[in-house]
Amino acid sequence: MDPVSLLKAVVFLPLIGAFIIPLTALISKEVRNAFSVTLGILTFACAVLLIPAAAVGAPVSFEINFPLGLNFAINADSLAVFMAAVSSFVSMIILIYSVDYISHYENQTEYYSMVVLFLGSMMGLVFSKNLIWLYGFWELTGFASWRLVGFFRSDKDVAKANKTILVTVFGALVMFLGIIMVYFEKGTLDMAQLKSSEISFLAASLILAGIFSKSATLPFSTWLPDAGVAPSTVTSLLHAAVLVKIGVYAYARLFGTVFVAPQSFSYMVTALAGLSAIISAGAALIETDIKRIIAYSTVSQLAFIFLGLASGNQSAFAGALLYIMMHSVAKGGLFLCAGIIEQKTHTKDIMKMGGLYKTMPVTGLSFALCSLSVMGIPPFGGFFSKFMVFKGAVESGNILILFLFAIGAVMTLLYLSRLFYLVFLGEYKGNSAAPEEGSPSMVASVSFLALCGIILGFLVSYPFNYAVLISKQLGVNLQ
Amino acid sequence: MTTELLSYSLIPLLSALAIPFLGRKNRKITEILANVTLLAGLANLAYMIFHPMNRNSGYAVFSFDGLTMSMLFTIYLVAICCVFFASVSGMVKSEKNSFYPLVMISVSAMSSMVLAKDFFTLYIFMEALAVTSFALIASEEGTLGIEGAIKYLLLTFPASALIIIGISLMLLAGGSLRFDIMSQSFSTAHFAALAFITLGFAIKAGLFPFHFWTPDAYQGAPAAVSAYLAGVVTKISGMYALVKICMAVRLFGENAHAISSSLLLAGVITLVFASIAALTQKDMKRMLAFSSISQMGYIAAGAATLNPIGILGAILHIFNHATFKTVLFLNSASIEKSVGTTDMRKMGGLEKNMPFTSWTSIIALFSTAGVPPLSGFWSKLLIIISLWITGFKFAAVVALIFSIVTLAYFMTMQKKVFFGKPKEELKEAKEASPSMLAPAVLMSLIIVFSGIFFPYVFDFLEKTL
Repeated sequence: MDPVSLLKAVVFLPLIGAFIIPLTALISKEVRNAFSVTLGILTFACAVLLIPAAAVGAPVSFEINFPLGLNFAINADSLAVFMAAVSSFVSMIILIYSVDYISHYENQTEYYSMVVLFLGSMMGLVFSKNLIWLYGFWELTGFASWRLVGFFRSDKDVAKANKTILVTVFGALVMFLGIIMVYFEKGTLDMAQLKSSEISFLAASLILAGIFSKSATLPFSTWLPDAGVAPSTVTSLLHAAVLVKIGVYAYARLFGTVFVAPQSFSYMVTALAGLSAIISAGAALIETDIKRIIAYSTVSQLAFIFLGLASGNQSAFAGALLYIMMHSVAKGGLFLCAGIIEQKTHTKDIMKMGGLYKTMPVTGLSFALCSLSVMGIPPFGGFFSKFMVFKGAVESGNILILFLFAIGAVMTLLYLSRLFYLVFLGEYKGNSAAPEEGSPSMVASVSFLALCGIILGFLVSYPFNYAVLISKQLGVNLQ
Repeated sequence: MTTELLSYSLIPLLSALAIPFLGRKNRKITEILANVTLLAGLANLAYMIFHPMNRNSGYAVFSFDGLTMSMLFTIYLVAICCVFFASVSGMVKSEKNSFYPLVMISVSAMSSMVLAKDFFTLYIFMEALAVTSFALIASEEGTLGIEGAIKYLLLTFPASALIIIGISLMLLAGGSLRFDIMSQSFSTAHFAALAFITLGFAIKAGLFPFHFWTPDAYQGAPAAVSAYLAGVVTKISGMYALVKICMAVRLFGENAHAISSSLLLAGVITLVFASIAALTQKDMKRMLAFSSISQMGYIAAGAATLNPIGILGAILHIFNHATFKTVLFLNSASIEKSVGTTDMRKMGGLEKNMPFTSWTSIIALFSTAGVPPLSGFWSKLLIIISLWITGFKFAAVVALIFSIVTLAYFMTMQKKVFFGKPKEELKEAKEASPSMLAPAVLMSLIIVFSGIFFPYVFDFLEKTL
């Protein structure tokens, strides 16, 4: 297939497919599951096949003209393809894992449709060239997350789901205000035409509020741990593949490759990120709910990505992109492990676990490997990304903020070790018999993700070179 | 009046006359006649609007504008949906044979209002509409319906008095009621007249602080009637006239801007106040009524910017509001039928048993909250853009931020009614019959498609306005 049809496929396949899933459910459950997984695999395949064209910088775009400059335009450049490949990869694994995990619950058809719709709107978002459509897909992801967080339907779940959508939509509206300001200042919303244009501090901050609300960075961080009431696959999806990654992607896209924001703005972002890194790491240290700990860890790790993106320096920017990838793989793995544990022990309280390594060795090992990658221990992938971010930040950074992040990194080590110790080592504290290992496809998914963490560490030069290429090809205002 | 389209107001009138005679023996005939009349009108309009030959020529063969056309289309669309729903659900007591003739007369009156070219003609038909609305609100035998009807009466007739005073002032000052002639010699008396008329219509549209008749009326009336009233009647009798005034004020230039500015202020206050009030409602229909009031605020604010984009946004929002509010009110009626109440505290988890009702409500509420790519987003966007470029930046920010309040109260509604675990006592709740769902599904499809293909809708209106 030529690149343009690949581009159309990667966006429209999941978007339209999501609405066909309920129809396939009429045939049979198996057809529906197979169809959903196929959509995930095809989306990933299309994203990967787009890499060669994007890497050489060939223009791959598709546009439908609309009045008032609201053209629907999608464009595949190296950054978009990178993000699409990462998030569709994790989504694909999650879909495979879901087939077993979700089979015990009600409303499965809605679950599959919403996951695929989520993936589709994510694809639409990363490839959008026009800010108004980026905003449109942004809201669509909010909608899908609302349905998915409320999946279990109890009063508490629905309340948290409402919180999720209200916080993210509020942020999105504030961001939209920023977009309108840009529209009237520059007269266009086409990112190609806006490239390298100056943006005022106010407009940039409004857009930032939207980004932070999606990526659950301080002061909008509370909805993400709360959203942990959803099924583990959903939380994994939100944390690793789609929702919070939208925030960092939008930051990389808008402030890394389109707008030139004032210096004080970048400084503000790194300062807020530093605070967010420490506070959420502190919260992760004292929490006892396994999913909330991992959720706070996401909030804290995202701050590192923001540090890299906002440092205004090429190696930090490339490091941050690498970080997105490593974090997606490792965090996706952690949540899926948590899903197995939760399903087998019927609790999320780590004080009631312990000694699970004996009966769940593969899950335990995968969990350990993913944790090591998140901590940033060599030779795992997470090490290289963290190293690059710090290296870049040192070159152009502020010592005080770096100090905050160094503490944050040490705390990451602490809370993940504590978590691993309490869950897998020691004696089992539950009442019933020690739980068994999860089903083959679930265990295979998590061990595959854990292995990816190691493999990415050894083969780090490929994604690294690609990330550097992105920052060279598209970066603006980078040293 | 635009004589070419006169049949749209005459045929429903004839049908209203025929219904009581033909329906004396068989009630079915009244229902069929009402439905057929409206459906034929709608099909006819759709043919005129969508016929490629007419579209390509920019509607040059007709002497009317796209505004008239789209308003007529809205009236017929909502009327057919409500009448169809009423006839299949059997929720309207038609023993007295009054419902269908009343609706037909009001359709006729609204069409005539839309076709009117001067304030006096508009006034006459508006009065006819007010009388039929009063009767429709009072048709439910309950204290709430009567209370709403009396409140409506007490507010709407002073409003009519204000309008007629304004009209007489206009006649005294210039001897003509044609907007285009008036604009040539604009005087203080004209200004006063216009101010009276605007105030009158603002009351009829239910803008703050004259909103308090609407929640009672909508809650008290049968749901099909509420949908009809909220969807088109108050929009045409109040908002449409306000939009017309704003278009006229544009002709009058600087002199009349005080009127539009105060209308804008009223609009913004309305949307703020009504959204907050909606947050606290316990009854589904009452919440929808407040939501409807707050949407009136958006329309008034958009029209009052006097900017072509704003007026376009206001007209689109009238249309969009008609679609999503009809869906929500009809769904509330379906729920009332299967659960027996509209009190949201007694509901929960209805989605499992009523999936279509739930999903059409979701589409409608996201459109109301202005979530892209649904149609409500675009009209709101046009209104906000217009507020911004005409210098009312603060109003634009308020209008934008209050979208989140809109979303918040609808999320609360969704949580209490549909989303969540099914309650034990509601396990038996049944989905509405396919024919009852048809109007809501049709409207939802319109919301989705006119949202996704919005640029073509925009193109149509821009070409003809």
